[in-house]
Amino acid sequence: MNRKILFLLLLVGCVAGPVHLLAQQNATDDLIKNLQARVKGYPEDHAGYAALGAAYLQKGRETADAADYELAKGALEKSLDLLSNDPSAAFASTQMAVLCMVEHRFEDALTWAQKALALGSGDPSPWAIAGDALADMGDYKGASEAYGHLTSTYGSEDEKLAYSYQRDSRMSFLRFVAGDTSGAIQFMRSAVRTAVETHMPAENIAWSQYQLGEELFLAGETSVAENAYLAALDNCPGYYRALASLAKVRASQGRYLDAIKLYNQAIAKVPYPEYAAALGDIYRQLGQPNDAKKQYDLVEFIAYLSQVNRQIHNRDLALFYADHDLKLPEALALAQNELEVRRDIYTWDVLAWCLFKNDKLHEASEAISHALEQGTKDPQLFFHAGMIYEKLGDFLKAQELLQRALATNPNFHLAYAETATQTLDRINQCRSQIRAQEVANAD
Amino acid sequence: MKVFQLAVLLLFAASVVSAQAPRNTATPAQQKISWAEAAIKAHPDKSQPYNDLALAYVQRVRETADPSYYLQAEATLQKSFQITPDNLEGQKARLMISLGRREFAQALSLAKTLNKKAPDDVLLYGFIADAAIGLGDYREAEEAAQWMLDMRPGNVPGLLRGAALRRLYGDAHGAKDFFSQAYQQMAPTQTEELAWTLTQMADLQLSTGDVDGAEQLLRSALQHFPSYYASLEELAKVQTARQHYSEAVELLRQRNQNFPTIASRFALAQALDRSGQTPEADGGYRDFVTNARPLIDASDNANEHLIFYYLGRGQNPTEALRIARLEIARRHDVNTLDAYAWALCSNAQYELAQKQIAAALAVGVREAQVFYHAGVITAKLHDAASAALYLGQSVELNPSSDSAAAAREALQQLVPASATLRGEK
Repeated sequence: MNRKILFLLLLVGCVAGPVHLLAQQNATDDLIKNLQARVKGYPEDHAGYAALGAAYLQKGRETADAADYELAKGALEKSLDLLSNDPSAAFASTQMAVLCMVEHRFEDALTWAQKALALGSGDPSPWAIAGDALADMGDYKGASEAYGHLTSTYGSEDEKLAYSYQRDSRMSFLRFVAGDTSGAIQFMRSAVRTAVETHMPAENIAWSQYQLGEELFLAGETSVAENAYLAALDNCPGYYRALASLAKVRASQGRYLDAIKLYNQAIAKVPYPEYAAALGDIYRQLGQPNDAKKQYDLVEFIAYLSQVNRQIHNRDLALFYADHDLKLPEALALAQNELEVRRDIYTWDVLAWCLFKNDKLHEASEAISHALEQGTKDPQLFFHAGMIYEKLGDFLKAQELLQRALATNPNFHLAYAETATQTLDRINQCRSQIRAQEVANAD
Repeated sequence: MKVFQLAVLLLFAASVVSAQAPRNTATPAQQKISWAEAAIKAHPDKSQPYNDLALAYVQRVRETADPSYYLQAEATLQKSFQITPDNLEGQKARLMISLGRREFAQALSLAKTLNKKAPDDVLLYGFIADAAIGLGDYREAEEAAQWMLDMRPGNVPGLLRGAALRRLYGDAHGAKDFFSQAYQQMAPTQTEELAWTLTQMADLQLSTGDVDGAEQLLRSALQHFPSYYASLEELAKVQTARQHYSEAVELLRQRNQNFPTIASRFALAQALDRSGQTPEADGGYRDFVTNARPLIDASDNANEHLIFYYLGRGQNPTEALRIARLEIARRHDVNTLDAYAWALCSNAQYELAQKQIAAALAVGVREAQVFYHAGVITAKLHDAASAALYLGQSVELNPSSDSAAAAREALQQLVPASATLRGEK
């Protein structure tokens, strides 16, 4: 599964209610202005500062600008200075948890979510963030338990549906990790339905459709995934996540020029390193190394742009380096650092891949076994595992895993799908030779 | 009767901010102390970290029953107020200390003043409810608790106060429902709060005679927060209800190893007495009296226990009534009304006793001890039919209460009298 997925989950899901109201991109600036005026007029207005913090967070989500997160932090701290020991402070505490998740400070996010819960506001939303943090720390059981609390007997029907949306969209991810891809897709379809029925802001609906598309793509249902991305773009024209994912589909269809156009549109909206890396890969595929290099340089530039970006993009950068055989020791160090704070299956996977690229095969095999231990049906995990076992000489296992990668989605990656096929051919040849040798020896 | 204790313990329910990571072995309050100290180091010019530290100390009192943390909390608040005079969060912390020391009148006044300044603050309504419950002004408490639940439906502090009030109004089922709703919302890391809530639920179960149910809840509470003094005290009551007095003694000995309260010393003396360990019980009672008497005029006293001591083992009804009069001048909560009524009864002032017990019953409270006292008082006034009704209710409500045996005996004595009365008619 797309490594961004959980990051995106937390960004979308934050909390029911006020955040959803903020989700309209065009309205966010106006909202910020109004809230700035409100707290200027009433400097003791804790709720105003909390709302302002949430608005800055929303803005950060829309722009991926680290400065917005700093502003969010300031406003939320001010709110909590004014009021921290009251159920009314749970919203600001929850937003703090969201901010920590954005910055990949998972332990802190969990702590803030638990603080919010301890205030006993009657709003179960902090459970969502607690679950997200636990999932990122690799505690999937704990995450599932936390998400199980996302119900409420209080509030309107719409509010209850909003909780079910939060629960379903997150349970979908956990199902996927647990290897139940069809269950994951069902949950996500349910989340999309709820988002539409409850008239959530367009961006939230689009995110849900995009997320559904991601799961479908990983399951190899490319055309259905494409429809989901197109639906997301219908709901929210120019939605960068859907643009990038549609670009991925176009690339898998060999429509490279369309893919380039879409990636450029996505990057113009929000420059995520993984988009630049994917665009670079297309240029490389097309035999345009200079254009590819420009994009690869952009990857590093974005990843090191700010302290927050360095925290957020550690793992992406490690994977990028490993994928492109660049700065391999640094890639390994980045992955190892990431594992200190994030012990989910995808961090194990990236670590395994970096170890593999650094010729530390036995350690790579141990790391990849952690990545596979939940039974996740992600072709990229299978591919990495297959390549590691192939190099270790365990051809049977390698063959099985590479076949699984291609069976799950024959176009799972622009370059690696082909690599998997070639490796399988090589394995088959090797095994044939071995068999022939064995027969010859027997004769 | 457990209602009063319930109200006091509730004081802190809303303040608990426990967010330790699951792997951490520190208690929620200890964890919060560490965070606040770190925050003070990082921002010594801000008042809020000092407030957080003060709240953590207050929370630590409930975790340990060690009131010396209040002194630390007060010292910390002084620093907070030096930085930001009269800041709201600091004043709320001060209010919580006041409530913890059962300075209800003073606390109510401060809570109302703060509530006028910050009418959107949910907890301030909770503090009004706490103080009003302590003073026996249940209408005011109910109004405040209702505000809490209206402002934020389903908020835990509101539910806990609502549960206390429902119990006082005799709605055990409703109280249990609120406790359950509150419990469901708590995070697993809120270990003490979970244990506290389960202990309150156990007390409620026990008051309706469900001894096994109470024990189950308490075992679960002790799993959440091992050696929790409140749960051990309650478990001793469970064993007493089963007439397993030696077990009760052991539990109370264990409970009293750290920071015994005057009430827990009294409970141990009673348990020793029941288990036939008379010399040690005598020592326990002496110890209790020595500690309780100097506090007779203080707000945080053990007068309720002293009254019952002098009405029983202490054999000094006059002194019991004197103390009861002091106490009733301070507050009119159900427990004080009941103790005063019983002291009056023991001093043969039956008319006045009936007035007081009627005031307690008018609240709606359904506790075996109150019904027993009402039965005896009514019998003394020769209203055998009402007496039989009250005594029957006492036994029926909780067949294993402290008063159950006495209620049965009184009921048996009434039966011939009632029959005679019926025959005469």
